[in-house]
Amino acid sequence: MLQYTIRRLIGMIPIIFLISVVVFSLAKLMPGDALSGKIDPLNSDPAYIEEMREKMGLNDPIHVQYIRWMSGVVKGDFGDSFVHKREVMELVGDRLPNTIILGVSALLITYCLAFLMGRFSGRYAYSIGDYLISGFNYLALAIPSFVAALVAIYIFSINLGWVPATGSIGSGVEPGTFEYFISKAKHTILPALVLGSLATASYTQFLRNDMIESSRKDYVRTARAKGTKESTIYNKHILRNSIIPIVTLLGFDIASIFGGAIITETIFTYPGIGYLFVESVNARDYSVMMAIAMMLTVLTLIGNLIADLLYGLVDPRIRLS
Amino acid sequence: MKKSSLWLVSVMLIMSLFLAACSKETANEKPAEGDKPAGEVKEGGTVTFGYTQPFKGVLSYAYYEGEDDVNALQFMHEALIKTGDDLTPQPNLATWELSEDHMKLTFKLKEGVKWHDGEELTVEDMEYAWYLIADPTYEGARFANVAMIKGAQEYHDGTAETIEGIKVIDDYTIEVTVTEPSVNLLDNIWVYPEPKHYYGDISSKELPDSEQIRKNPIGVGPFKVKNIVAGEMIEFERFDDYWQGPAKLDGVVYKIIDGSLAQGLIQNGEVDVIEAPKDQWAAIKELPNVNAVEADAMSYSYIGFDWGHYDNEKGVVVSDNQKFQNKALRHAMAYAIDRQAFIDGFANGLGKPLNTPFPSVSWAKIDDSEINGYEYDVEKAKELLDEAGYKDVDGDGFVEDPEGKPFTVNFDAMAGAETSEARAQFIIQSWQAIGLNAKLNGGALKDFNLFYDTIEADDPSVETFMGAWGLAADPDPAGIWLSTDKWNMWRWYSEESDELIKKGVTFPEDESMDITEHRQQYYDEWQKLVNEELPIIFFEQRIDPWAINKRVQNVKVTPFGTDDFHLWAVTE
Repeated sequence: MLQYTIRRLIGMIPIIFLISVVVFSLAKLMPGDALSGKIDPLNSDPAYIEEMREKMGLNDPIHVQYIRWMSGVVKGDFGDSFVHKREVMELVGDRLPNTIILGVSALLITYCLAFLMGRFSGRYAYSIGDYLISGFNYLALAIPSFVAALVAIYIFSINLGWVPATGSIGSGVEPGTFEYFISKAKHTILPALVLGSLATASYTQFLRNDMIESSRKDYVRTARAKGTKESTIYNKHILRNSIIPIVTLLGFDIASIFGGAIITETIFTYPGIGYLFVESVNARDYSVMMAIAMMLTVLTLIGNLIADLLYGLVDPRIRLS
Repeated sequence: MKKSSLWLVSVMLIMSLFLAACSKETANEKPAEGDKPAGEVKEGGTVTFGYTQPFKGVLSYAYYEGEDDVNALQFMHEALIKTGDDLTPQPNLATWELSEDHMKLTFKLKEGVKWHDGEELTVEDMEYAWYLIADPTYEGARFANVAMIKGAQEYHDGTAETIEGIKVIDDYTIEVTVTEPSVNLLDNIWVYPEPKHYYGDISSKELPDSEQIRKNPIGVGPFKVKNIVAGEMIEFERFDDYWQGPAKLDGVVYKIIDGSLAQGLIQNGEVDVIEAPKDQWAAIKELPNVNAVEADAMSYSYIGFDWGHYDNEKGVVVSDNQKFQNKALRHAMAYAIDRQAFIDGFANGLGKPLNTPFPSVSWAKIDDSEINGYEYDVEKAKELLDEAGYKDVDGDGFVEDPEGKPFTVNFDAMAGAETSEARAQFIIQSWQAIGLNAKLNGGALKDFNLFYDTIEADDPSVETFMGAWGLAADPDPAGIWLSTDKWNMWRWYSEESDELIKKGVTFPEDESMDITEHRQQYYDEWQKLVNEELPIIFFEQRIDPWAINKRVQNVKVTPFGTDDFHLWAVTE
């Protein structure tokens, strides 16, 4: 297993390198740069733009720029954000806590909903309830998140006034107090709910199908023959076995927790990684954009590896070699 | 089975919620509450100022770049001079005197102006700001506002130790010598002091990333920063030692929201003051709790004709494109467009057609009776084309050029707003209606970056394009209109125009003559020239819509935003 892990990790290096080339070229292929937005006689002039382009090395040949960027990245230095005038790592570090809070809460909501719905669907397969649940799941899958976000804001913030519509924290609260915690929770719950409840489909159906499959297995028949209560069979025997494969999906969720939700964060003005990413793309703030893309790449690769390792752990039949 | 039926019900409830949400969103509206007459102004209170783009948090005038940061800065800091209602400089923290030869400018600072940390503002803070900006390592965009000070260029290039032209006389008096006399010196010179004692010896390059600017910035304005939540919100509280007396409000919250939510957030009071998104204006101005204020903006949009290219080596535009040299053609294309209908249809009426590059709020704007208004007139447009020799020879419905060759017009516009596509089609169809074979260049709109990249690179496919400019208070058209300007996007070369623009910033020979009058006469002449030559079709001047909650009083709206923050108050 250790050998396998090391082999996989080494195998990642050329992949990361190749992806860095793709990320860099895609970024450079976009028309404009961080200075094209400065065409404004009120605040700058062409001489300044030219001077800054020269200073930032944007006039250098593309391979020189790539090598300069990559040699920084290898050392963990993603450069400075031109737009924010700060180091990229600091900037990302600032936004990360918000994104993780949102990502984890959304994931918890997804898991809870999916667990409850999947359990119901698996046990009462092909019932009206089952069909309604899969109906809901596919609907949630089909609704674009910005529509769901706007609708949720309209209902819960603007009409009912239960929770605030934007931001991650209210005004006038001291960090560390109970009030601060409540304010944080109030600001996070709505985007988390939107994110979480739209993503239940795969988990629910996964659990459902596994339960249906398990219920036809021999050990279940044995249990029935022994006269075990139906609820015990489902809640103890089948559920326990069916929940295990789902654990492996956790690996794939790692990247999504850190990556943030681009659209949802933007609509809720929730200052996380996703929001920062959109902002940077619009402003052509290459260094930030490429840093986030690279971060997601690495996390996705690691997530895949964790998923594979978890498979091996929960199912001894799968041999990692 | 009981448990499962509960599940069924809850699932159905969730589903119905989504279905209901999909139908129509106006089912249950909040009861109108703003209709009652404004109550008494009360002491204290907080106002939320909204904006739709995240701020970067560079809270210093010398370093900030976007409107997102200046919206926060305006509450906490002020300049020696401000722009008055007539768009001329007015004394603020300081008065000034200009020497006879217009070479020496002396600022006399008010005594007793305090920084937020209690220190007194002195002219050293102004001197310090000039040094920061002229510093060789400075990476902001303001050097042009300091370059006119004698010796600033040398200091910037690293060949001088000090800036020769700055002379501190005492704590409240500072004298600046400039490199050459200029009529708009006060409009151009940098007048925002920076707290020298507070920044210590952090270098000009490091400052934008320092705690002093990012986490605990200070100024001399009516509100001081209490709390910054990066990219999301800044809380300000009243500064009791403000030089014009303490503000009426307890505080201001600067809050970033998503533009698509503006209407709802204004309606439920989460945002009190905001420049409203234009596409939602029709609904927002009808809200019962809103004072809708429309202010003429210092900006205009235009349709540029491509005259040629920019010669980078010589640094001058070359008008070598023959396509639009015919004045009658340009006039015809202007007459063909119903600008008022465009504004009413696409911008909720937030704009006015204009015919010179000066919006009506500018003091230099020529009287409309002296220039051609280019009123929408299809017949006249067709006539002009016909007289100029643009006739439909082959009977395909589109005119050919005077030599009988097919004539097409490419049009470029920026993508972004929901109505961008429709706007572009409006222009294209207007031209098609007078027989010009107009089409969208490349069949699609371009995003902001691609748009300016293509135009700046003088791409041969660009023939006409719709752009816009924001303007400063001073009317000097240099920077955009001189034939040496890189931002002369339409590449129009005219010696006559250059000469008038340059004369517009000269001093009158007759000393007794009013400078403004003197400049006005050249700007009138220049406006007549560009109005007749029509190197670009002047399209519309913008109107900025401001939504202000009825509980907020004394908000002054100017062409540049809001003002008089210390007088803002709330009723309740």
